[in-house]
Amino acid sequence: MKFNLVAAWLLMGVVLIAAAIVAAPGASYSKQDRLLPLAGATIHHWAGTDALGRDRLVRVAAALLLSLGGALAAAAVTTAAAAGVGTLAAFGPRGLGWIALLICDVFLALPWLFLLMMVRSALPLTTSPANSAAITFLVLAALGWPACARAVYRGAVDLKRSEWMLHARAEGLRDGQLIRYVIPSLVPLLLPQFLICIPAFIVAEANLGALGLGVGEPLPSWGGMLLELDNSALLFQTPWVYLPVILLVIVLLLLEAIPAEA
Amino acid sequence: MRHSSRLVVAFYMILAVLAGKTSGAQAASRLPGELVWAIGSDPKTFDPAQVDDQWSELVRYVTSGVLVRFNRLTQTVEPQLAESWTLSADGKTVTFKLRPGLRFSDGSGLTSRDAAWSIRHALLPASHAVVAEEFLSPGGVTVETPDLRTVIVHLPGRVIGIGKVFDEIAIEPANRPSQGRVTAGPFVVAEYRRLQYVRLRRNPYYYGRDAAGNSLPYASGIRLDILQDQEMQIRLFLRGEYDLINNLPPDYFELLKQKDSSSVRDLGPSLNTEQMWFNQAPESPLPGWEKSWFQSRAFRVAVSQAIHRDDLARIAYQGHATPAYTFISPANAAWYDRSVNAPHTDLAAARAGLADAGFHLSGNQLEDRENHPVKFSILTNAGNDARLKMATLIQQDLTALGMQINVVTLDFPALIERLMHTQDYEACLLGLANVDPDPNVMMNLWLSSSPNHQWNPSEKVPATPWEAEIDRLMKQQASSLKQAQRKIAMDRVQQIVADEQPFIYLVYPNVLLAVSPRLQGVQPAVLDPRLAWNVERLRLEGGR
Amino acid sequence: MKRAVAAMKWLTRTSAIVLLVVVGSTILVRFAPGYFSDTREMDARYADVARAEMSMEAARSGSFPHLLFSEIGGWMRGDAGQSREYGIPVLDLIGPRLRVTGSLLLRALLLSWALAVCAALVSSAGRKPSLFWQAPATLLMAIPAAAMATICLLADRGGPVLVLALLLAPRDFKFLHRTLRKAWLDPHLLQARAAGIGRARLLRAHLLPSIAPQIGALASLSIATELSGLVPVEVIFNVQGLGQLAWNAALNRDLPVLLAVTMIMALAVIASGMAIDHPDQPGEWSSI
Repeated sequence: MKFNLVAAWLLMGVVLIAAAIVAAPGASYSKQDRLLPLAGATIHHWAGTDALGRDRLVRVAAALLLSLGGALAAAAVTTAAAAGVGTLAAFGPRGLGWIALLICDVFLALPWLFLLMMVRSALPLTTSPANSAAITFLVLAALGWPACARAVYRGAVDLKRSEWMLHARAEGLRDGQLIRYVIPSLVPLLLPQFLICIPAFIVAEANLGALGLGVGEPLPSWGGMLLELDNSALLFQTPWVYLPVILLVIVLLLLEAIPAEA
Repeated sequence: MRHSSRLVVAFYMILAVLAGKTSGAQAASRLPGELVWAIGSDPKTFDPAQVDDQWSELVRYVTSGVLVRFNRLTQTVEPQLAESWTLSADGKTVTFKLRPGLRFSDGSGLTSRDAAWSIRHALLPASHAVVAEEFLSPGGVTVETPDLRTVIVHLPGRVIGIGKVFDEIAIEPANRPSQGRVTAGPFVVAEYRRLQYVRLRRNPYYYGRDAAGNSLPYASGIRLDILQDQEMQIRLFLRGEYDLINNLPPDYFELLKQKDSSSVRDLGPSLNTEQMWFNQAPESPLPGWEKSWFQSRAFRVAVSQAIHRDDLARIAYQGHATPAYTFISPANAAWYDRSVNAPHTDLAAARAGLADAGFHLSGNQLEDRENHPVKFSILTNAGNDARLKMATLIQQDLTALGMQINVVTLDFPALIERLMHTQDYEACLLGLANVDPDPNVMMNLWLSSSPNHQWNPSEKVPATPWEAEIDRLMKQQASSLKQAQRKIAMDRVQQIVADEQPFIYLVYPNVLLAVSPRLQGVQPAVLDPRLAWNVERLRLEGGR
Repeated sequence: MKRAVAAMKWLTRTSAIVLLVVVGSTILVRFAPGYFSDTREMDARYADVARAEMSMEAARSGSFPHLLFSEIGGWMRGDAGQSREYGIPVLDLIGPRLRVTGSLLLRALLLSWALAVCAALVSSAGRKPSLFWQAPATLLMAIPAAAMATICLLADRGGPVLVLALLLAPRDFKFLHRTLRKAWLDPHLLQARAAGIGRARLLRAHLLPSIAPQIGALASLSIATELSGLVPVEVIFNVQGLGQLAWNAALNRDLPVLLAVTMIMALAVIASGMAIDHPDQPGEWSSI
C-alpha cells in the first residue's frame, strides 16, 4: 500500500473541495450576514459565521487556497534560495562562502520589522488586497532563507566530507560537476525546512497585518484566523474558531506524508 | 518495547511538572490592604507640573493634593485643600482659603506659600506645563499670599471654567519639588520599577476624613502594574489579582459577565467618539480628482448616509456602543444638543446626492465626472479590534454605493506620520478621547489654524466659509460670559459639523468597567479616571 | 599558531557582523515611517509638548552619519547610549533583563530538547509513518506562539517556559526524527540488529554517538526559533525580559535600546553558529 500516494490524493481532494466551496453559487467570503454574527452551525452556514457574520466555511476554504498557495510558493522560493546559498558556501570559493555565511548571520539579527514598515510606506495605500498578499509572501520568501541556509550549509559540509564525495574527488571530478550530485542528496534536509516554513509563513503573514501588509480585508487570511485563537473572548463564544487549526494540521500532515519514501 | 514505554512515561512526567506551574506573571505580590490594577504603559513623568500623558495624569490624580477638585460624578468643582474659594464678579480674581493644619506627606506644614509656589511653578515657561495654556496668557498671572491660609490669583483676563484648571495643579512643598514623593494628596509615589509597576503608599497626613471621622484614604496603598496585554489583564482580574479594569474591551465584557455578572458595568455612552474623516488638505500628495471628492460636501454626506451605525455598534462593539451623529455625546448632558439634524442612514438619498454631484455607476463601480473610479483606502491603527471591524463593515456599506475601499492598519507612529506630517492618506478611522465635558477643550480640534484640525491641519486662512464660521463660534463661546450664549454657539458648531461632515461620527463607545466583588466604595464615573475618581474611598473587603 | 589565526578569523568575522548589524539596524529604524512622530501628537492637550520633543529629536538625528556617530559614541562611553523613551542608560535597562531572558531561553531549550529527544528516540524506533508522534508535533507547529500563550493563560496552566518549549520541541523533534531514522537504516546498524543486539544497547553504543555532531545544527536551529517566539511570549506573559523590551522599543522607535537588543541577538546567532562550525577544525571546511 503506497501511503504517500494516498496522501497525495487526499490533499488533492482537500484542495478540490475547498475550490468547490469557494466556487459554489451563492458562496461569498466577504458577504456579511449582519443579523448572525458569531453564529454556530446552521443550515445556511455549515460552520457558523465569524465576528462580522461572514460564512466561516467559505472563508476557511478560500483562505486555504490563498494562504496555502502563497505560503507554499514562498516556502519553495526560500528553500531554493537556502539550498543555493548553502551549497555555494560549502562548495564555492573560500571567500564567497565566508561572505555568504556572514550575510546569513547579519540577516538573522537585523530588525526586519522596520523594513516591512518601509515596504508598506512605499506601496500606495490603494494596493489591492490580492497584490498586498502577493507582495507579503514575496517579502517573507526574501527574508526567510538565512536560517534555512545555515542548516543546508551544515549538511553540505557533511556531504563534502562523505566517502563517496572523496572518491569522486579522487576520480578527478571538480566541485562544479559534483554539485549536480549534491543537490539530490540534500533533499532529505531541505524537505523538513520546507515544511517548517509553511506554518511559519502563514502565521508571519497574519502578524504583518498589524503593519498594513498581509492579506487585507475582506480577503480571508488563514494566519488571521489562527491568530483569532489568541483572543479568549472569542474562544469562549464559539468552538468553530478551531476549524482552521485542525485543517492546517491535516494539510501539513498530508504534505509531510507525500514524499516519505525512506 | 519496555524501554520506550519508560521514556514515554518520563516524557509525560516532565510535561506534567512544567505544565502544573501556573504562569507567575505578577510583577510583585500584593501588600496588605493594597489596591492593584493595570495601566497600559509607563508614566512618562512623576513631576505633577510636567504631566504629558494619560498614565502620568492618573498618577498625579491619585497622589496630588489640589486646592479644588472637579468631582467626576457630580461634575462640579469642590473644595479640597482650600476649604472655600471665590471668583470675583469680573472673573479675574480667584481667592482660595486653605484649611487649617494642613500637612504634606512628610509631616511638614502646608501653607499658602507652598500653594503660591506651586501655581507659579506650573506657570513658568521652563516647566512646559500643559496646564499653563489653560490660563490663556500665563505670563500675566500673579499670585499673592496675604496670610498663611489665603491665596489670591489675579488673571489678566477671564478664563472659562477656571475652577477646573486648579484641579490640575498639584500643591507641592515650596522649592522642594519631589516627583510625587512628597504630596498633600491621598497617596505618594513609593516605588517605581520601569516596565513593571508603580507603587503608591498611603499618605498618613492626608487631611480627608469620612463621615464617621475615619481618616482617608482607606487603602494602604496602590500598585499600578504596567501591562500591555489585555488577555493577561483579564486573566489576572479573574484570578482576583486585579481589583478593577477601567477600560474593558467590548468582547471581553460578555466573557466576564458570564463568569460573574455583578463584576461588569456598562455605564452607557462615554464622552469619547469614534469617527472617520477624509483628507481635505490641499497640500497632500493625493491626485487632484481625489482631493475634489473629499472636498465635496455631497460626497462626504453620501458616505455618511451609507454607513449603518446601528450595525457598527451592534457588531463591532457587541452592542456596547451608541450610534453617534455629532461630537458631543448624550453622556454630556449640559452640552448635548438633541435637535442636531445630521444625515442618517438613507441609501436612496446617498445615491441621489452622488448623482447630483456628477458621480455615476459604470457596472458596479462608481465613477466621478471624469470617469475616475472611486477607490480609496481607510486607515486605522493596528491592534484595535473594534476599529478594524468598523472599517470592514463600512467597506461593505460603501460597496453598496459602488465605492471600492481598502482597509489598511498601521502601527501608531507610522499612522501619525501620515496624518500629521506627510498628509499621505485618503480616509482615516480613529477615536477621540474627551476627558472634559466642556467643549472648550476641543478648541484645538476645531480651530482651522490648529495642527490638530485633522481633515485640513494648520490652515493659514480658513479654507471654506463654514470653517471660518466654526472658528468664529469657537472663539465666541470661549469669551462669552453667559453659559446660555456658549451653548447657542456650540449648538451651531454641531449643526455646521453635521451639515458638512468633515468628521463622520460613527459611535460613542460605552464606558465598560470591571470591578472586583471585593472592592468596596465603588461609585463608577463616566469621566476619567472612571473607577479611580474616588480612590481615597475605595477599599478591599476585609481590608482596613 | 594555527589557533591564533583561527581566533583572528573569528574576531574579524564577529566584528564584521556587529558592524553590519549596527549600521543596518540604524538605517532601518531611522528611515522607517514614524521615527519622528509621537502618539501624543493626536491628543490636542499634549500635542505641543510632543511636537517640541520631536523637533529636539530631529535636531539630534537629522543627518544619518551624525546619528550613527552618536549611537556608536554611546557604546564607546560604555553605557550604550541613552534610551529615547526612558532617558536612562540602555545598559541599566538591559542588564537585569538579560538574565531573565537568558534563563527563560535556557530552560525552554533544555525542556524542549528533553521532549524532542525522548519523542524522536521512541518514534524513530517505531513503525514507519508513526502518526502517533507526528500529528501532535504538527499540531504544535500549526499554532502560533501568541495563540499558544493565550490558551495557556486560559487554561491557567503552564508559563512562558512551556510555551517556548512547545514552540521549539516539534521542530527539534522533526529534525531528530529524520536524523535518527537515517541512522537506524545505516548498514552497520541494520547488521547489528539482524545479529540480534538489543535496541537499548545499540542506542547507547552506536546511535547516540553517530548523531552527536548533529547537536550543533540542532542548537542553531533552536536558537533561531526561540528568538522568533520570544517577543509574543514575553509580551503576553508579561515577562520582564529582552523580548518585551525590544517590542516596546520598536513601538516607540527607541533606537539605542533596539540597537543594543539587536546586538545581543546577533551575538546569540553567532554563538549558535559557532556550534555548527565547531566540529570542523577552523579553516578545514574549505581546504579539502
